[in-house]
Amino acid sequence: MTKEELKQLKVDKVVDARGTACPGPLLAVKQAIADVPDGGIMEILSSDEGTKRDVPRWARKKGYEYLGDYEESGYFTIYLKK
Amino acid sequence: MAKKMTIALFSGSVDKLTAAGVILGGAAAEDMEVEIFVLLQAAFAFKKENALTNDRVAEITDKKDDFLASLERLQAPHWTEAFRKAKEMTSVKIHICGFAGKVWHGEKLDDFIDLADDIVGIGEYIDAAESSDINLFI
Repeated sequence: MTKEELKQLKVDKVVDARGTACPGPLLAVKQAIADVPDGGIMEILSSDEGTKRDVPRWARKKGYEYLGDYEESGYFTIYLKK
Repeated sequence: MAKKMTIALFSGSVDKLTAAGVILGGAAAEDMEVEIFVLLQAAFAFKKENALTNDRVAEITDKKDDFLASLERLQAPHWTEAFRKAKEMTSVKIHICGFAGKVWHGEKLDDFIDLADDIVGIGEYIDAAESSDINLFI
């Protein structure tokens, strides 16, 4: 998905993990996924470079769909579909 | 079925314990079952009186102050908190090696921080390592 398409998504849960170091963002995502309804969208904000690789890899293993990410204003925004 | 990780945790230094905490976080994200065997110098770090005051580092010791300042700047949790969070999120059992405990005058489970689950012999580690998917020595 393009950055513009990602920005248009209706988000069910936002995880703001900016300022935390690895593995903090990934653990925050794992803890919060229970709050996302099936088919719902999670938006993850992270300033940790590794998160944009860790989250898609984790999502694949767990059976969730990685929709894309973009970098803006010094942090990454990542989207998952449960 | 959950994958299994065993860690032979020898080091009692904050740098290596912090690395162990990061790996534990990754294992927790994957819902792995982890068994940690606290050996020799790590048993020193697990003693109640040492866990929070011990600031020894094993590597690049001349930059210890920079290292500790960076952990604070990056809001990295203390290794005990990283271990605790992993225990909350997945199955993590922490076993104190009986010999290691005695080396540091720890005879009872109560001599160690509450992260420790029990005191065991080395046979427990060998059994667990034989059946684990990942076995680390730190």
